[in-house]
Amino acid sequence: MDDTFKQFKEHSVAEFFKKNRQMLGFSGKIRSLTMIVHELVTNSLDACEEAGILPEINVEIKEIGNEHYLVSTRDNGPGIPENYIGKALGMMLAGTKFHRYIQQRGQQGIGASGCTMFSYITTGQPIRAVSYNNKKKKEYEIQIDLKRNRPVVKKISEEDTEEQGLAYSAEFKDVKYEKSNKGPFEYIRRTALANPHAQITFKDPSGETSVFPRSVERNPPKPFEIKPHPLGINTHDLLEFSHHYAKEYRKISALLQNVFSRVSANKVSELRGIAAEVDFNKSPKNMTWEDAEALTKAFQKVKWIAPATDSLVPIGKEQIEASFRNIFNPELLVVTERSPRVYRGGIPFSVEVGIAYGGGVKEAGKKGEVMRFANRVPMLFDISGCAITDVVKNIDWKRYNLKDFDEAPIVVLVNFVSVYVPYTSAGKLAIAGEEDIENEIRFAVMEASRGIQKYISGRRKETEIATKKKVVSRYVPQLASDLASLTGKDSGRLEKKLMGIIEEKYISRKTKSEPEESAENKEVEE
Amino acid sequence: MTGKASKKLIDLGKNMVTDINEGKAPEFESTLRTKSNTLYDEGIGCLRLGEKKETRKFLSVAQARTFMQTVAIAAKTRQFLDQNLHTSIRGLFYQLKFSLGENMDEDLFAEQSESNALIEDLEVALKLKREDLNLTTDRKGFVAGAMTIRDKFGGEETVIDCAKQGRSGWSIPSDVDNDMEIENVKAKYVLVVEKDALWQRLNEDKFWKKENCLVVTPKGQSTRGTRRLLRKLADKKLPIYCLMDCDAWGWYIYWTIKTGSMNLAYLGRDFSVPEARFIGVTMTDIEEYDFLKKLTIKAKDVDLKRAQEMMDYPWINRHKEWVKELKLVLKTKKKIEQDALQGQRLTFVGEYIKDKIDNKKWLP
Repeated sequence: MDDTFKQFKEHSVAEFFKKNRQMLGFSGKIRSLTMIVHELVTNSLDACEEAGILPEINVEIKEIGNEHYLVSTRDNGPGIPENYIGKALGMMLAGTKFHRYIQQRGQQGIGASGCTMFSYITTGQPIRAVSYNNKKKKEYEIQIDLKRNRPVVKKISEEDTEEQGLAYSAEFKDVKYEKSNKGPFEYIRRTALANPHAQITFKDPSGETSVFPRSVERNPPKPFEIKPHPLGINTHDLLEFSHHYAKEYRKISALLQNVFSRVSANKVSELRGIAAEVDFNKSPKNMTWEDAEALTKAFQKVKWIAPATDSLVPIGKEQIEASFRNIFNPELLVVTERSPRVYRGGIPFSVEVGIAYGGGVKEAGKKGEVMRFANRVPMLFDISGCAITDVVKNIDWKRYNLKDFDEAPIVVLVNFVSVYVPYTSAGKLAIAGEEDIENEIRFAVMEASRGIQKYISGRRKETEIATKKKVVSRYVPQLASDLASLTGKDSGRLEKKLMGIIEEKYISRKTKSEPEESAENKEVEE
Repeated sequence: MTGKASKKLIDLGKNMVTDINEGKAPEFESTLRTKSNTLYDEGIGCLRLGEKKETRKFLSVAQARTFMQTVAIAAKTRQFLDQNLHTSIRGLFYQLKFSLGENMDEDLFAEQSESNALIEDLEVALKLKREDLNLTTDRKGFVAGAMTIRDKFGGEETVIDCAKQGRSGWSIPSDVDNDMEIENVKAKYVLVVEKDALWQRLNEDKFWKKENCLVVTPKGQSTRGTRRLLRKLADKKLPIYCLMDCDAWGWYIYWTIKTGSMNLAYLGRDFSVPEARFIGVTMTDIEEYDFLKKLTIKAKDVDLKRAQEMMDYPWINRHKEWVKELKLVLKTKKKIEQDALQGQRLTFVGEYIKDKIDNKKWLP
C-alpha cells in the first residue's frame, strides 16, 4: 500500500498520461492521428482569434515509415514569445482543469503539449517549433522531461523576420493515416465547415493538397466568461469554487452572491431558511462536502431567474450557409437560427442545424451523414451514444419526403454551443442525452427538415412536369404528320406549333416567375 | 356515304388544326362510353348511349398516346376511303404497327386490342360505323330464302338470289349497307337459329321454301353484318323469330339481337331489332313436350349467374314472361339445347317452329 502510494507520488502528470494515453484521446491508431491534428489546429485557431487575426492554417502529414508519420502545421497567429514556448508546447497542465464558464473549444484536450509528449514517447524525438514572434524567427527543439513534467527547450537558431505565426512539426509512431470519416481529412473539412473565417490547407500523405478557403472575412466575436448559475452546478463544482475563491470572500454568503449569477441578498436569506444546517457566515475554505450538498439541494428549491444567454457565440446562419456553399455547394441548404435555451435550469446552450442536400453533397459521396460539433469542434468519434446522433437518426425522415435517410445525399450539421458541454465521459466525444438538450436538437433538426421537405416535394413536381412534357412531346411528330395527311397542311409547321403549346403548358415553376420579373424590370426602365 | 365519312374525318383534322393555330391544345368531343352513360331506350327498345360527353385531349399524359393513335386511325382510314380499298381491323392494325421514330422504343400501335378500342372511339366520336370507314369484320352468318341482293363490288354489279345458294346459303358480308341493297324480299318472316347445325337441318328440310321464310344463322353471337341485315329486314316489316338454346349463351345471343349489347351500346338502333321474338327453346317446352324432359342438362353456374343478372336488367325484367322463365331456370337448375328438338325425330323441328309461330307461343 505504502509502496504504491510512494510510486504514485514519483509519477508526474506527464508520466501518468504516458501510461494512460487513451485518456487524452490517443487510443487507436487512426484516432490518435486525428487527435494530434485536432490539438494543433485548435491551438492555432485559438491563437489567431485571440490576437484578432483571420486564421490561415497549413497542415501536412507525411508518411516516413510503417505507421510512422511527420505532422507539420503552420499558422499566421502571433507566434509564441520565448519565455512561454516551453510551457505552451512542453508542459502538461498540472491538476484538473478548473471549470471556466466560457464557451471554449478545448474543454478537455491536453493541447499541443500532449502531442509533444505523444511524439516523444513513440519516437524518442523532440518536436521542432518555429515561432515567428515580434519580428524574430526562432527555431526550437522541445521535449518533455516526463519524470518532472518540465519542458526541455533547445534553441536552434534565431534570425530577423517580417513574418509571424507558429510552425510545429513532430514525428509520431503507432498512428495510421486513413481517408475515412474518422481521419484527419474529414476532421479538417469539418473544422473548415464550422470555422468559415479560417482558411485551412491540408496536404495528405499521398501529396494531394486540399484547400478549404475562407468564406467569411470576419472573426467570430469573442465569447466572454459568465458567472455560473446556481442550477448549473453540482456539489463537486460548488466545493471547488468555494476553495478556489476562498481568499477573495470571507463568508459563504458573500461567495454565493459574487461568484454565481442571479444570487441576491434576498435569495441568500431564502437559502438560509432552506439549508439551516449550513453556516453561511463561515469562510468558504471551510465548506464541507455536506455543506455543498445541502446548498445544491437548496438551490433546486428556490425560484431563480434564468441565466443570461448572451455569452454564447454560435457560428451563425449566414456563416454556416457561406461555409456549406464553399465546401459542398449543395443543391439545397437550410440553416436554422434559434434562440439559446437553458439546460439543468442553469446552463445556457444553443443549437445550430444546417442541412445540405444534393449537388456537391452527392458528388462528395455523402449519404445520410450527421456532422456533430461542440463549440465548433468536430466530433468524429463515439458516434453512438451521442445525443445528436440519437436524435437525428430517430427523426421520421419519411415525413420529410426522405425515403431512406441513410442512402440520401444529405449532410446534417449540428453545432452544440455552450459554456459547458456535457460530454458523456472524459475523453468521449459525445454529448450526454439531457432531455432539454435532446428536445432542442430535435426541434432544430425538424425545423431545418421542413425546408428540405418543401424543396423535395417541389423538386418532385418539377420532375413530374418534365416527365409529363417528355411523354406528350414524343407523340408530336406522328400527330402532326397525321393531321397534315388529313388536312393537307404542312406537317413541320404543325409540329413546331404543337411543341410551342406544350412548352407553354408544361412550363417549370422556375421559369414561370421570370416573365413577372421582366415585367417589373420593364416598368422600372420606362 | 363514303363521301360523308371522308368529310367527317377531314373535319376532325381541320378542327384540331384550327385549335393549334389558335395556340390551343387539340382536342375532340365524344360521347361518354361508360356503364353509367348506357341506357335502355324504352321508346325504341334498345340500349344506347346517353347524352354525357367527354373531351379527349392531347395535352394530357394519360391521353396523349391514344389521342395520337386515334388521329392516326382517322388519317389511315381516310386513305382507305380515298383508294376505295377495304381491310379488316387486323389489316388496319398492321398498317399502323410501326416505330414512332429511330430512337424511340415505341410503336404507334403495339397490340391490336389498342387499335380495336380506338376504332370504336372514332365510331362514337364521328357518329359513324366502322363499315363506313372501309373496315371489314369476319363473316359468319348465313341466310337462305326468297330474297335477292344487289351487290356492287369491285366495279361489278351482281344480283344474288338467296334461294339459290344450295347447301351453303348466302354468306352475310360484314357490311350490308355500302354498295349493297336488298332488291326483293318475297319471304314473309325471318327465322334466326343459333346454330349452323339446325340451319342445315332446316335447309335440308326445305323449311324456308315450305314456310316462305328466310332462315338465318348467326353461328353463335351475331356479327355486325348479320345484325344490320336483320334490322333492315325488320324495317321491311318482316317478323323476326329467334330459336336459341335455353341457356346463358343462347339468351345473350337473343338479347344482343334484340336490344344490342352493353359493350356496343353506341351502335344503338341501327344494330338492334326490338321487334325480335324468342320462340324457344323455353323452360315451359319441357313441360309441354314430354320427350324433352329426358334431354335436359344440368345448368352450369355461369347459366344461373347469367339468369340472375338478366332478372336485374330493366329491359328484361319489364317482361313478366321472361321473369317467369328465368325463375324457372333458377329453380330447376336445368337447361336445354335446341339440338334436343331433333332428339325424337329429325324433322320434328319444323313442326315445333310452326306450332310456336302459328300459336304465338313466344317470349317477347
